[in-house]
Amino acid sequence: MCKFYPCILCISALLIASLPDPLLAVSAQELIENTWNQLRGQASRGEVEMTIHRPSWERTMRMRTWTQGRSQSLIRILAPNKDKGNGTLKKGEDMWTYNPKINRVIKLPPSMMAQSWMGSDFSNNDLAKSDSILLDYTHSIVDTDTHQGKTVYVIKSVPQPGAPVVWGMQELKIREDFILLQETFFDEQEVPVKVMTTQDIRLLGGRLFPTVWTMRNSETQDEFTRLQHVQLEFLDQLPNDLFTLRNLRNPGRL
Amino acid sequence: MNLDVIMALRNIWRNPRRSVLTVLAIAFACLLLVFMLSFQFGSYETLINSSVTIHTGHLQVQNTGYGDNPDIRKVISRPETVVATLRNMQPVQAVSPRCQAFALVSSRDRTLGTMVVGIDPTLEAEVSSLEDLIREGAYLTRPGPDRQLAGALAGRLLARNLQVVPGDEITLLGQGRDGSVAATVLEVRGIYASGLEEFDRQTLHIPLRTFQEVFFMDNAVHSVVVLADELNSVHGIKAALEENFAEQSNLVVLSWDEIQPGLKQAITLDLISGGIFYIILVLVVAFSILNTFLMTILERTREFGIMMAMGVKPGRLIRLVLLESVSMTLIGVFLGIGAGCLVTLYFQAQGIYLGGAHELLEQFGISGRIHPRLSLLSVSLGPGLVFGITFVSALYPALKVRKLSPVQAMTAV
Repeated sequence: MCKFYPCILCISALLIASLPDPLLAVSAQELIENTWNQLRGQASRGEVEMTIHRPSWERTMRMRTWTQGRSQSLIRILAPNKDKGNGTLKKGEDMWTYNPKINRVIKLPPSMMAQSWMGSDFSNNDLAKSDSILLDYTHSIVDTDTHQGKTVYVIKSVPQPGAPVVWGMQELKIREDFILLQETFFDEQEVPVKVMTTQDIRLLGGRLFPTVWTMRNSETQDEFTRLQHVQLEFLDQLPNDLFTLRNLRNPGRL
Repeated sequence: MNLDVIMALRNIWRNPRRSVLTVLAIAFACLLLVFMLSFQFGSYETLINSSVTIHTGHLQVQNTGYGDNPDIRKVISRPETVVATLRNMQPVQAVSPRCQAFALVSSRDRTLGTMVVGIDPTLEAEVSSLEDLIREGAYLTRPGPDRQLAGALAGRLLARNLQVVPGDEITLLGQGRDGSVAATVLEVRGIYASGLEEFDRQTLHIPLRTFQEVFFMDNAVHSVVVLADELNSVHGIKAALEENFAEQSNLVVLSWDEIQPGLKQAITLDLISGGIFYIILVLVVAFSILNTFLMTILERTREFGIMMAMGVKPGRLIRLVLLESVSMTLIGVFLGIGAGCLVTLYFQAQGIYLGGAHELLEQFGISGRIHPRLSLLSVSLGPGLVFGITFVSALYPALKVRKLSPVQAMTAV
C-alpha cells in the first residue's frame, strides 16, 4: 500500500491537471478585463510625472492626461518649460503630435505605436493600455501567490495564432482586487524583454490604484522609466471636443 | 662567351617555331596575370574610394560605443581639437564634423522615420561626393537673410516617398540631446541620388549649425569624417590618431573596413575566386611547358649520349638543359611583363567601361568606369609565379639526363 501511494498520488494529480477547468480559464480573462477597466475607467483626467533614468543621465517630465473609453487619449506636457505645450492625441489607430515651437500638428505613422514614447522605456501602446492584451491573447492562470494578504494570480498570456502583436508572450501578476502588480513582456523566443512593476498602491480618484509604474529593460540593469501618477480623477464623460485636432493645436487649454 | 651559353642559344634556335610558341605561351600568361591583377586591384580601389566618398569617409572618429548603439548622447564634446589634430597630419586630405540622429520627417501628407545628418556644407563637399550627387535643386548654402528657413537635402527615394520637390517645406520631429522635443521646419533645397538605395531612402542632410540648435547639441558632434590622400595611408593615419587619443579614452577611430565590413568581405571573396582562376591558368601554362621541355630532351637522347661519351659530365648537361629552359622562360616573362604593362597603362589612362555590370556596381556607388592600377605587386606576383612553376617543371626532364648511360643513349632513336 505504502509503495503504491506516491504513484496513485501522481496519477490523480495528472488527471486533475489534465481536466479542463472552465472556471479558471474564464476568470483569467475576467481578471484582466476588470483590471484594465479599473486602470482606465470610462474617462479619466490626471497628472503624471515621468522620470527617464539612464546610467549617466536622468530627466523628469510632468504631463496632464485625458482618456476616454478604450481608444481616445490626449497627453500634454506641462514641464520642463522647454517642452511645455507639446501634446499627443490618439484616436483609435491614429496618432498626432503637436509642437508649439513650430506650431504644427504631425500625424505619426502607425508603426510608432510600438516605438518608445519620448525616449522612455514605455511604448505608446504601453501608455495607452490598449485593447491588444484583451483581444489578441489567450490567458491562463499558471500560479498563485500572495501580496499584502491578498491572492495574486500569475497569468500567462499567449498571442492567438495570426494576431498582429509585438510580443511572443506576456506574463501578468494581478491581485484579486484587480490591481496589476507586474507585467513582463517576452519576445518570440520567450526571453523577457522588459518588465513593468507597480508600487505604492493607494486610493486615487476614488479607486485603489497602483500609482507608480516602473518599466525596466531586462537587458540593462541601470535603465528604467518611472511613471508616477500624481493626480487622477475618474469621470463618466469628458467633453467631446476635447479629443480633436483643434484642441490639440490649442495648448492654452489645459 | 661561355661555351655553355652559346650551346644553349643554338639549341633553342634549333627548333625556332617550337621555342617561339613556348616563349609566347609564357609571355601571354604573364601578360594576362599582370593585367588581371592590376585590374582587380584597381577596381578595389575604385570600389572603396567611391564607396567611402558617398558617406562614410576613409576614417571616422567617434565616441566609444556610438557605432554599436548610436545614442544621441554619445558625442565628441570638443570636435575642434580633433579637427585640429587631423589637419596637422600630412596624409589627411579633408576633415568634416557631422551630427546624426533619428527623427520623424513629415511633409504635408506623409511622415517617415529618417536618419538626419548635420553637415558643414563647405567641409562636407571636400570629404564626400554629396555636392556632386545633387540631381534636383541646389546644394546647401549658408542661409541668407532673405531665407527664413534652414535648408535640407533629401535622398531621391526619401523625397519621392515624402512627395516633396525643392522649395517644399518639411518638418522635423525628434528628441534632442537633453531628452526634450526637437522640432523645426525646413525647406527642401536639393535632392541627391547616390545609387545606394538605403542612403537615398533614409537620409536627410541639414546644416550642422541648424542640427546643433534643434537637437540641443551645443558644440558637440557625433563623428569626424576623414578622407585620406590615398587608400594606403589610411592605416598610418589610424595608428597615429590612436596614439594621439590614448589619454582621451572615450574616442575611437574606425577605418572604412570597420564601418562597412560588407565591402571588405566582398573584396576578399572576389580576391579568393580570382586567386583560384590564376592558379588554374598558371597550372595550364606549366603543363604545356613541361610537355615542350620533355620533348626536347627525348628527341636529343642520342646527342646527349654522344656528349657523354666524349666526356661531358651529366651535371654539365643538366646545367645546359636548365639554362635553355630558364632563358626561354625569362624571355617570355619579360616579354609578358612588357606587354602587360603597356596594355595596363593604356587602360589605366582610358578606363574600362563596364556596361553590363553597371547596376551591380551602382550599389557600391561606382560610376561604371574602372581604371586598372599598375603596382609593383601586380607586376611581380603573376610573372614570379609563372617563373617559379616553369622552373620546377623544367627540372623533371633535366634530371632525367642523369639516368642515361652513354651506350644506350647513343643507340636510342
